[in-house]
Amino acid sequence: MNDNELITALREQRGKVPMDTPVEQIIRRGRAVRARRRLPGVAGALGAAAAAAFAVSMVLPASHSASEPGAQLAAWTVARQADGSIQVSIRELRDPAGLQRTLRADGVPASVTFTGQQNLVCQGYPGSGSQSQRRQLLGSVVTGPAGRDALVIHPSALPSGGGLQIYVSSQNRGPDGSFQVAVRLVQASPGCTGS
Amino acid sequence: MGTQRLDFAEFYREVKDECLFTVVLSVGDRDTAQDLVDEAFARAWASWRTVGRHPAPAAWVVRTALNAGISRWRRRRREVAVPDLALVADRPAADGGVGGPVDPTIMAALLRLPVRQRQVVALRLFLDLDTAGTAQVLGIAPGTVQAHLGRAMAALRYDLTPTRQENPS
Repeated sequence: MNDNELITALREQRGKVPMDTPVEQIIRRGRAVRARRRLPGVAGALGAAAAAAFAVSMVLPASHSASEPGAQLAAWTVARQADGSIQVSIRELRDPAGLQRTLRADGVPASVTFTGQQNLVCQGYPGSGSQSQRRQLLGSVVTGPAGRDALVIHPSALPSGGGLQIYVSSQNRGPDGSFQVAVRLVQASPGCTGS
Repeated sequence: MGTQRLDFAEFYREVKDECLFTVVLSVGDRDTAQDLVDEAFARAWASWRTVGRHPAPAAWVVRTALNAGISRWRRRRREVAVPDLALVADRPAADGGVGGPVDPTIMAALLRLPVRQRQVVALRLFLDLDTAGTAQVLGIAPGTVQAHLGRAMAALRYDLTPTRQENPS
């Protein structure tokens, strides 16, 4: 294979990983970027709010039962909904083990890290479908604002032997300052999801 | 405002796939790349008056995306020696890809390259930047770009030639 053939073969791949974010969504996110730039006072207010939240978090317990609907902590909240789904909100990256325990106790085999580093023991769920199908499957298990600091887990939609890997990093913030929560469908195992 | 939106939308439609592919090759994870590119395009929209006049606005987007995710891909580089091919290669054409899904053999060969070589290949071959533009985006010397490209092409040729001879289709 000469250089031209190689370059042609490589360039044929261009465009085969399509970006499917609608431009309207980009523009909405762009507006948030603009708003953040234009309102430095808001940033100060948010900083004060964050400081207040941290102060509250120091006096609240770091874990709770998911069976207490609406129970709220400064660090994170797990609330079971009437339809059996579980709403998770993350405000501070504290006590990932507590969140992991809470989710597991609520029937969600989960691995939770707040370092941005994934539990390397976890293996992707061995689905036979395409990435698009696997993405669709994950979309049925986890809904809510994509990439945001709140998500809704539907335990009944978890495939047999499946679990969730949830990892968040303090360095990955959305335009509005929310944490970017990454979720991956994994194979449940003792080293990953505890069972 | 309306004109600005139209121009941006046109620019977005024209370059979004190339930008995503370039960043995918850098970070080795489609979801992460898409989030970074989304953010970069959002910043481009927010500064479109300036970015729209940039000599290579697509390069601006890629550079912004790479800068936004630099700590993320550094961490990933330390943790995961080989990116998960399934996260970038297993994508059906029905989702809008051009001319079928990516060739897993080629993608695997690309993802086996060191990150910097992947970035250079992506910027030079997929985003069509010249050596100077690639050097500017990556913050390295033009000679380094050429060295990385030379090594990458040699590695890819070595990786792909036997396989493609065995499977001429």
